[in-house]
Amino acid sequence: MTSKPISTIMLTAALSLAGGSLAAEELTLLVGSNPDSIAIAEALTAAYSERNPDVTFEIETRPGGSEGDNIVKTRLATGEMTDIFLYNSGSLLQALRPARTLVPLDNIPNRRNILDSFMRTVSDDAGSIYGVPVETAMAGGILYHVPTYRQLGLEVPQTWAAFMANNARIAELTDKAPVIQTYRDTWTSQLFVLSDYFNVQAEEPDFDTRYTNNEAKYASTPAALKGFERLQQAFEAGYFNADFGAADYNDGLRMVATGEGVHYPMLTFAVAGIQQNHPDELDDVGFFAQPGDSTDVNGLTVWMPSAYYVAKGGDHVDTAKDFVNFVATVEACEIMTEAVGATGPYLIKGCTLPQSVPAAVADMMPYFAEEGRTAPALEFLSPIKGPALEQITVEVGSGIRGAGSGAELYDRDVEKQARQLGLPNW
Amino acid sequence: MVGLASFAVAFVVFVTPFIFVALNAAKTAAGAATLDFSLPKEWQLWTNLVEVVQARDYMLLLAYFNSIVITVAAITLLVIFGAMVGYVLQRRRSRWNSVIYGFVLAGLMIPPAVVPTIWVLQELGLFKTLHGMVLIQVAYGLGFTVLLYRAFISTIPRDLDEAAIIDGAKPFQVFIRIILPLLKPVTVTLIVVQSITIFNDFTHPLYYLPGRANVTVQLTLYNFQSQFVSQINLLFMNILLVTIPPLLVFIFFNRQIVAGMTSGAIKG
Repeated sequence: MTSKPISTIMLTAALSLAGGSLAAEELTLLVGSNPDSIAIAEALTAAYSERNPDVTFEIETRPGGSEGDNIVKTRLATGEMTDIFLYNSGSLLQALRPARTLVPLDNIPNRRNILDSFMRTVSDDAGSIYGVPVETAMAGGILYHVPTYRQLGLEVPQTWAAFMANNARIAELTDKAPVIQTYRDTWTSQLFVLSDYFNVQAEEPDFDTRYTNNEAKYASTPAALKGFERLQQAFEAGYFNADFGAADYNDGLRMVATGEGVHYPMLTFAVAGIQQNHPDELDDVGFFAQPGDSTDVNGLTVWMPSAYYVAKGGDHVDTAKDFVNFVATVEACEIMTEAVGATGPYLIKGCTLPQSVPAAVADMMPYFAEEGRTAPALEFLSPIKGPALEQITVEVGSGIRGAGSGAELYDRDVEKQARQLGLPNW
Repeated sequence: MVGLASFAVAFVVFVTPFIFVALNAAKTAAGAATLDFSLPKEWQLWTNLVEVVQARDYMLLLAYFNSIVITVAAITLLVIFGAMVGYVLQRRRSRWNSVIYGFVLAGLMIPPAVVPTIWVLQELGLFKTLHGMVLIQVAYGLGFTVLLYRAFISTIPRDLDEAAIIDGAKPFQVFIRIILPLLKPVTVTLIVVQSITIFNDFTHPLYYLPGRANVTVQLTLYNFQSQFVSQINLLFMNILLVTIPPLLVFIFFNRQIVAGMTSGAIKG
């Protein structure tokens, strides 16, 4: 009678011992220091460990921006990269030379779940893919203060002319700044140029390949030059907030949320910042795509999210691949939404957004619902993005340099990067 | 009158930023985002403190431990080796002197390259270890230390050494019994200057000491700061906590720093 329970216990003990010694693995994961990235990494790894109790994770963080790029490159170059890491897709990924440093993910079972539009941004010339998307896509466009629009009876502009007309009305009837610019954080100055890419590719469909092949230039392509010109126009009309040279990104968020300013050209991830700093005004902020020349061509320039990559030469490559495979599922999307909410559409087939999203996110969803109203930003189509664009757009936006001269300078800035990447024809 | 003016200047330059940090550390995230010099609408000093200490599984406490270990160990080695090398360089003339002195100056002037240094550390099995980091800090600080000791020792009359030798002291005893006690002012200066440098070092631990368990205090600042969403209130609280140890060192040794700096500066 007593022998049976004892043997069961012993058997269980033996089994669990065997299980423990067989495959107890600890994987390392490097993510950016953004609180959302960390929260997502923690939620995803916890969910994976629940399914695979033998696998545990250690999450490391790194700074963002160019310091983060240096860290990632240094650690890849010295073979000290974590098993899995989070990094941008598009041109920044190409700078890592993925074929040499990363494990291809072509044969993971859930590869077919990833949307084609994203796959393009994490693949190399040979067509292998290297990353699995994390978080949601973002869009570049214009955040606007909804109550002001309502008060003045303005409509969301479909063309650049209508946008400038709205600005004129705002300048005339209120003492609010029609357009917010925040040049203390120089990267915020690029948005008028970068978000204009939907309009560029609508007019010049093969601009990205000709640009990569050194055949098309910003300065000599009228459609591409318009982004710079629009920035110059907005400055010359005197629509910027008085302190545009000294204001920073957080000031910009405050201004558009409280209505001190009305339009803020920005990426939609700003919604997370508004949510943290101005939760009460979150639904006062709406969003529209940067308008072009005609009402027929109106669409959104989209930024692809970052991705998880598996570094070559790690000790746990197979488990790491299994983990990123898990990230490419609808279930993982839901875990991410639960962890941080959603600020845009997912790049995994079948993922849906929760019922209630902030107003600005709701405003961007219709663009994705229609075919042909979104286009990836140029940095996801071409490996080239010059490092000095933000300084040049500050010059153009402050009236120090004209649009044409700024575009020429940027074309020269790009040459250096293209040569570093060893692209043909440069 | 002059005293009052200098007090006012000192207040503006040193105390005002500190008050600014402290005030913002007590605000909510929304309140701190504007970066105003104003009293918090809601005081949440304690909540912020708890949140910063608990962030990422008590990372700050681990970081304090690591930083203190690195700083104390590196300072100890720097003082011992810096004083010895400085003494020999100053007292014993040989044709190696200029070569060694050249290396010391090179250590001050030539910026180190990160990736080759990591290769060296990997080969030696010192990468991602605290003692490896200690050696890095010693290597970076040794040039300055040797220079300072050598300059100071040249102000100590050689007669003292000779008197000790006549009394029967061995060379090593001359150094330990006679010279080392006289080096106290410059040693205090070095401890203060180098410990603040090493404790506040950000870039070297960032590159040479990756890994979650190896975090140092300056790296914890990145828990609350990122390009797009920063929790400014927690960031300032973290800055406040990180600033305290160097501040204590500075307050206690303030008088000696000035004395040590000037007493070594007479002769080259």
